[in-house]
Amino acid sequence: MRKNISLILGIILVLIIIAVWVLSFVYLPYPPNEMNIPNKFLKPGIDSEHILGTDNFGRDILSRIIYGSRNVLLVAISSVTLGALLGIFLGALAAMERFADTIIMRIMDGLMAFPGILLAMMLVTVMERGIKGSIAAISIFMVPVFSRLVYSMILETEALLYIKAAKSYGSSRKQIFIRHYIPAMLPRLITQFTSAIGSAVMIETSLSFLGLGVQPPYASWGLMLSESRQFFLGYPYLAVGPGIAIIITVLGFNLIGDGLNDIIINRGNSDE
Amino acid sequence: MFNYVLDRLKSSIVVLFVVSIITFFVLMIIPGNPAQLILGADATPEAIQELHVAMGLDRPLYQQYFSWLLDLLKLDMGKSYVYGESVTVLIAKSIPVTFSLSIFAMIMAAFIAFLFGMISAIKKDSIADYFSRSIMQLGAAIPSFWIGMVFIVYFGVKLKLFPVSGFIPFEVNFFRFIKSITLPSLVLAIGEIGTLLRIIRSSMLDSLKQDYMDMARVKGLSSFKIYIKYALRGALTAPLTIIGMQFAKLAGGTVVVETIFALPGLGRLVLTAVEHRDIVLLQGLVMFITSTVIIITLIVDISVMFFNPRVKSFQQGDL
Repeated sequence: MRKNISLILGIILVLIIIAVWVLSFVYLPYPPNEMNIPNKFLKPGIDSEHILGTDNFGRDILSRIIYGSRNVLLVAISSVTLGALLGIFLGALAAMERFADTIIMRIMDGLMAFPGILLAMMLVTVMERGIKGSIAAISIFMVPVFSRLVYSMILETEALLYIKAAKSYGSSRKQIFIRHYIPAMLPRLITQFTSAIGSAVMIETSLSFLGLGVQPPYASWGLMLSESRQFFLGYPYLAVGPGIAIIITVLGFNLIGDGLNDIIINRGNSDE
Repeated sequence: MFNYVLDRLKSSIVVLFVVSIITFFVLMIIPGNPAQLILGADATPEAIQELHVAMGLDRPLYQQYFSWLLDLLKLDMGKSYVYGESVTVLIAKSIPVTFSLSIFAMIMAAFIAFLFGMISAIKKDSIADYFSRSIMQLGAAIPSFWIGMVFIVYFGVKLKLFPVSGFIPFEVNFFRFIKSITLPSLVLAIGEIGTLLRIIRSSMLDSLKQDYMDMARVKGLSSFKIYIKYALRGALTAPLTIIGMQFAKLAGGTVVVETIFALPGLGRLVLTAVEHRDIVLLQGLVMFITSTVIIITLIVDISVMFFNPRVKSFQQGDL
């Protein structure tokens, strides 16, 4: 088998992010939200007390980046999990129950038609700004992605012999779904799940950047970038850390998604 | 073929209808009274009640929905309370900004993606292939607001090549118009290159495997001719569809880039509407943007079918 570089690189990057996340519970160089005005705008340096420097309130940037990983991962992982569960349920319902088919799938088409983060922004307007609002908005954004995938996969597998056999044995819909459809769909669902986390991170940081996500004084990478905007000209280092953190996270999850996808495609080919 | 057009038209109308229901009802469950929002905190309860009735907010929701939908069809989207102007006028004023950005961005993205995508496919597994696939992955992972900030500092402030904010309409000065949208368009383009490059690469790879490619080689045609005239032409359908979809997406979703570069486009309006909870403005914007996306996608689908007889006959069931 050809070496799957995407997968290996992706796993390394995601492990880095997970390590940072674990670190946020174990050790932070400084309290992330503690202001220390006399120490503001300290330049970064290896031998400096603040390796990545301090921001306009004298807060330690490294600590804020480490701490910010909590919010980003919390929002991304919980919103994709919620969206995936609801999407899988609705997709399966639409595929297996005739009456629900048209209604559910037309609603999904409608949700998919909203471009970019417009849907998330619209939902944030209705809910409170902050972590809960972001989770709710991004999970609704994810529902049609998963429901369409599950819907089409069930329709594909429905005609296969072992499903027909299970039906003729008198298995209930629920049994067939849990015993046969879920295992058959699992690889593609996991792939979709990983890629979805990448895009959820992107949406979360965008919302925070626009001031609609995590609210100050809490740390979030998008918010840190947004706060650094007005000082960016004089102190460009403010934006380096959070930017790289976002890139590593999104790249990591996307690469894992791609790598897994390659494996599925290759396996499909070898079956032929 | 006529049936296909009719089918696509029908499903687009259904989707539009669903979108209008979602937009209206989602934004109606918002906490707070719109009349209160418009009049401010120190308005008397009587005044609020009066406006409440005048705005028709005392009617049942479904009645409000249908009258909103009817007005929408007449292009009357109500009045924004933040700007005190008609939503239709506000949108009309912002269209040139967002559309110039999207068009310019897609031209850049398509140019770069076709160049690298073709090289990547022709020289599969070479250094060039890995290079362009790395660009593809990076482009998708770099947040547009970050790259936008970097561009502003380097190209705008340090090198002074481009203005860092604002929009110059092309009727004022064409050269300055181009300059004012170059950086933001480039930022948008970077975000789109990845997906497009991936599609171009895979369609090209597919096309290179076809029998007619061997035929062209046997005929002894120059490699340039083989790649451009045969391989590329066979590989155009999927990328063109994606370009259309990406353009549609950009036409509605440039909020972040417009914010960084302070451009008065549709995205800025969306952000203002969200920040001030201007529901009327937001409803109008969401409907306008989403309809634009659906209509552009429809046009792209239909034109791809016209230009590609294979899709046409597939739709008719000949294949």
